[in-house]
Amino acid sequence: MTRPAAHPAASALRHRAEAEASALPPLLVQARQLAGAVLMGEHGRRRAGTGDDFWQYRPAQPGDSRRMIDHRRSARGDVQFVREREWQIAQTVHLWVDAGASMRFASGAKLPQKAERARLLGLAAAVLMVQGGERVGLTGGSLPPRRGNVQILRLAEALMDDAAEDYAPPNDRALIPHARALFISDFLGPFDALEQALSKAAARGVRGVLLQVLDPAEEAFPFAGRTLFESIGGAVTHETLKASALQARYLDRLAERRAALERLCHEAGWRFGRHHTGDPAQAALMWLYHALERTAP
Amino acid sequence: MTTIAGIGFTAPWLLLGLLALPVLWFLLRAVPPAPKRQPFPAVTLLLGLKDDQSLSDRTPWWLLLLRMAAVAAAILGLAGPVLNPSTEDTAARAPLLVVLDASWAGAADWQQTSAQLAQQLEDAGRAERPVALLRLNAPEPLQFRAASSWQRQLAGLEPLPWQPGEAQLQAATEVLAAAQGAFDTVWFSDGLDYPGRDGLIATLSERGAIEVYEQPAPVLGLRPAAYTTDGIEITALRSRAGPAQQVTVLAQGRDPGGTARTLATLPLRFGDGAVEASAGLSLPAELRARLTRFEIQGQRSAGAVALTDDSLRRREVALVAAQSEDEGLALLSPLHYLRQALEPSAELLEGALPDLLPANPDVIVLADVAQLAPDQEAGVIEWVENGGLLLRFAGPRLAASDTARAGEAPLMPVRLRIGGRSIGGAMSWGEPKTLAPFAEGSPFYGLEVPDEVAVTSQVVAQPDPQLAERVIAELADGTPLVTRKTLGQGQVVLFHVTANAEWSSLPLSGLFVSMLERLAVSSSAAVPSAEDLEGTTWTPVEVLDGFGRSETAGTLPGVKGPDLVAAAAGPELRPGVYSGGRRVLARNVLRPDDALQLARWPATVDVSAYGAPQEQPLGGAFLTLALALLALDVLGTLLVSGLLAPRRAALMLAGALALAAATVPQEARAQQAAAPLPSAAEDARAADLAAELVLAHVLTGDAEVDRIAAAGLRGLSDTLFFRTSVEPAEPAGVDLERDELAFFPLLYWPVTRDQPLPSAAAYAKLNTYLRAGGMILFDTRDADLAGAGASSPAARRLQQIALPLDIPPLEVVPQDHVLTRAFYLLQDFPGRHTRGPVWVEAAPPDAEQAEGIPFRNLNDGVTPVVIGGNDWAAAWAVDGNGRPLLPVGRGYAGERQRELAFRFGVNLVMHVLTGNYKSDQVHVPALLDRLGQ
Repeated sequence: MTRPAAHPAASALRHRAEAEASALPPLLVQARQLAGAVLMGEHGRRRAGTGDDFWQYRPAQPGDSRRMIDHRRSARGDVQFVREREWQIAQTVHLWVDAGASMRFASGAKLPQKAERARLLGLAAAVLMVQGGERVGLTGGSLPPRRGNVQILRLAEALMDDAAEDYAPPNDRALIPHARALFISDFLGPFDALEQALSKAAARGVRGVLLQVLDPAEEAFPFAGRTLFESIGGAVTHETLKASALQARYLDRLAERRAALERLCHEAGWRFGRHHTGDPAQAALMWLYHALERTAP
Repeated sequence: MTTIAGIGFTAPWLLLGLLALPVLWFLLRAVPPAPKRQPFPAVTLLLGLKDDQSLSDRTPWWLLLLRMAAVAAAILGLAGPVLNPSTEDTAARAPLLVVLDASWAGAADWQQTSAQLAQQLEDAGRAERPVALLRLNAPEPLQFRAASSWQRQLAGLEPLPWQPGEAQLQAATEVLAAAQGAFDTVWFSDGLDYPGRDGLIATLSERGAIEVYEQPAPVLGLRPAAYTTDGIEITALRSRAGPAQQVTVLAQGRDPGGTARTLATLPLRFGDGAVEASAGLSLPAELRARLTRFEIQGQRSAGAVALTDDSLRRREVALVAAQSEDEGLALLSPLHYLRQALEPSAELLEGALPDLLPANPDVIVLADVAQLAPDQEAGVIEWVENGGLLLRFAGPRLAASDTARAGEAPLMPVRLRIGGRSIGGAMSWGEPKTLAPFAEGSPFYGLEVPDEVAVTSQVVAQPDPQLAERVIAELADGTPLVTRKTLGQGQVVLFHVTANAEWSSLPLSGLFVSMLERLAVSSSAAVPSAEDLEGTTWTPVEVLDGFGRSETAGTLPGVKGPDLVAAAAGPELRPGVYSGGRRVLARNVLRPDDALQLARWPATVDVSAYGAPQEQPLGGAFLTLALALLALDVLGTLLVSGLLAPRRAALMLAGALALAAATVPQEARAQQAAAPLPSAAEDARAADLAAELVLAHVLTGDAEVDRIAAAGLRGLSDTLFFRTSVEPAEPAGVDLERDELAFFPLLYWPVTRDQPLPSAAAYAKLNTYLRAGGMILFDTRDADLAGAGASSPAARRLQQIALPLDIPPLEVVPQDHVLTRAFYLLQDFPGRHTRGPVWVEAAPPDAEQAEGIPFRNLNDGVTPVVIGGNDWAAAWAVDGNGRPLLPVGRGYAGERQRELAFRFGVNLVMHVLTGNYKSDQVHVPALLDRLGQ
């Protein structure tokens, strides 16, 4: 039996595509595992779906349509019962994960890149939301909020995109009013863009969470000697003769930036969290979950 | 050369470079290390942060120090440092004369001498002094040349096997007289004194200072081995009477195969303060005859070698006299005087000629034997033609016989007249005749003829054309007394008188013994004296060089006999082995009465021993240090600029150190490993095979047959494992050419038609294997179709294969063979075929059946071979899961046949492993009976 030889270009394309796609399932699996662990951690408490789940029986009242009477329950006695489902309005959650080059940084071989961690957390949160019946989408209109498992696949795919510039500004377009938002980034880029995006969101009534993902090296500044610091893309550089002398002032600036972020969140009614890639993702996801819940209107 | 703190520098000006170090310090401090590039997303937070100006980054002090040390080491290394520089006054630019004894006495320490000489030449070269070399035992005109040209010739300089003699010293003095101007002398002495040395010292000290180098260790020498009645006496000498010392003398010789090896060792002990040590060595005559030299172990010098010659070799002399019926008085026996003359120096054989001839003696003496039986005569002629010496004496019988009357007999040098003649008796005229002096060309030339030797009777030679050339001794009146002719490679000598004192007084005189010696009938026990050798010339066969190594003499001229013994060794008389006619004499460096005289130097002469601290250039070491420091600097720089984690740097440093430490010994180990050793894999295989019982099959080269054989043995091994206490390991295939057979109790050998025959080495291995109790099961795998295994192709191949094997007579397995009951009771031995007979070693013809016992008391051992054609391996063969591989027979009968095949296999292995154990069971009733039960 002979097999027609595959076109070389086509096979190369398929190889590349498979190589690209191979990163996706692990991310998905990781995100689902992470999300599953959070559910277990919540002691089996289930969020009700959109009207599918039982909430309570109540005696039928005038005005209830006949269709609402639960005959199985009512047949036990004389009183007619209405089976009431949990009242639930599906929320819309906008997700923005920084795809800038500054996120593709890890200070050690054993640490994940900030971008990896950010995607993982974002996707895991999305999994939780979708399981909770929310609609999840990306900011900027590239992926409008939808619900269902397929949306998670789409999200995962969209999150894999990398941006070329060093510091990507938050995408604040196409935010649905009164929706919720989750911004994950290192927030080391220009502060103005963030401020602008957040104020615009607040103006639309969108509330949400900022999660700052930092590498431990960025938190500790463990450098010494003559050093030329450069951004990942190489656009921004700074040279010093004695890096160790800069540590204190750098930490001051970092704290300053963080304080500014917190202030900004406070003003906009958002919540601010931070996470280091050296820490387990589980805690961050837990925090995210509660924070998103609390920001719910 | 400038010396600073005990270290000399060949290029001291370079040391000024050290002054540049502080400048370097400032330069290095000013230039900070290159920045490391650090990707850092939070760089935005750093923008605008200014460096503190007062804290500019500097190269760390330890890195600076490392670099300074590296540069300093490089400068020091290039300045050419030398440890232990010779503190010779460089102002003394006088020419240098190097005087060498360079005799055998210095050969043992020649390496040190060469090294010291090279050092001297190097010093002289550095001081730009012209150098001349004078070897006292081979003087040549002085040539003052640059030291470097001598250095090139140094390798070819070797000690000579003689001491400077008078002639050489004379020549040396002339050479010195011819040299112009003053010069200093460095004299490398061997530590031995020789006449004329004092004069030379005086001559040299007139021209300049003398410095003498001399090895403090005593010179050892060996005197020629002396033969005494109870063995060989070896005497060693030393030049300096020191504390007690032990040396070992090796007796070198050839083994029967002709290979040189040490035949005996003899420890010699110098007493405290003694300069001489001797001991006796007693060796069997055969061994003694093979000795070639004695040497002192560890002394590479011609003086420590004593060559041996005929004097150690006792020739075998057969004495045959005419049969005499009367008991005869001892003194009248024709052999008495011969016995007396030869006893001390030869092995005597006596008896009848037919008995003596096969012993192939060196000499046969026929005393008054007129006629030999025809076959004996033919035998003697053959023996003479092969190099024997037949020595005949006349006597009344010979005179009365017809031997050599009409024509020349092959075993007579001359024709004889009837009757002989008597001179000076009561019934004759004239005086008894004396001997004429021996003519030149006679082997006896040079022997002194004593006056008292007189001849009264003799047999007389017929005048013949060849008579004159055959006479080697004659009477005063010209009558031949001793005649000789050559016959083949040997010779026949006739004494025209009796061997006893009946016809002449010759046997009573010492001349008789000397004549026998000259004829090489006997070899003299003592070293011949100069007088003995008067008139002979000896040609060198082998000569010794200064180190005591033998080399062929080539075209060296001959030496006069007296010189050979008496003169001191020199260019004309090299120590070695000399041959003259049929005799071989060894001339050693030391004569039997020589002693080793220690050289004494006048007080004005500066004598120093070797081994003054050698100059040791340190430049290489310093440069290596500089390189190592620079390598460290690389690591340090990487560390400082953060391109290398500290832990990895430490790891790399440790690795580099380990590598450096491992480099040197590895070379030595690699050299050791070059020796051929059994590979570890082979050892491991042998250990595995020896650890467990392994059945083996011979690899035939036919892949299918080998596969079936392996599968068959696996099946048999499994069966043994399940049914008996024999638990074999996985079977092995055996390559007869390469593998060791000793590990296998049983070899299964399937015979194929075109199997290659094993090599001779493999046959030797197989025979050893069979003799050591191994068993081979030959299987022609053809059911013996042709009957009696005669003509099937495999059977014919088997015959060819088995031909060189050590196989006893065979018979078809008898009904009471132990193979029928070693484990199972069997009547026949089927494999895949059923009909073929099986052959085993035949029972001894005297095996008989004891009463009441069903079996004969058969042979004791295990049959070495079992031969059959039933293709047992095919019946035993199982696959990997233990299922039979090949079908056998049909249906249930086939399974039964397979079972019987397995039983045969079990019986066979049991027979191999337990031998005749089951046979012994037949004695059990008798034993029980004796025990009273």
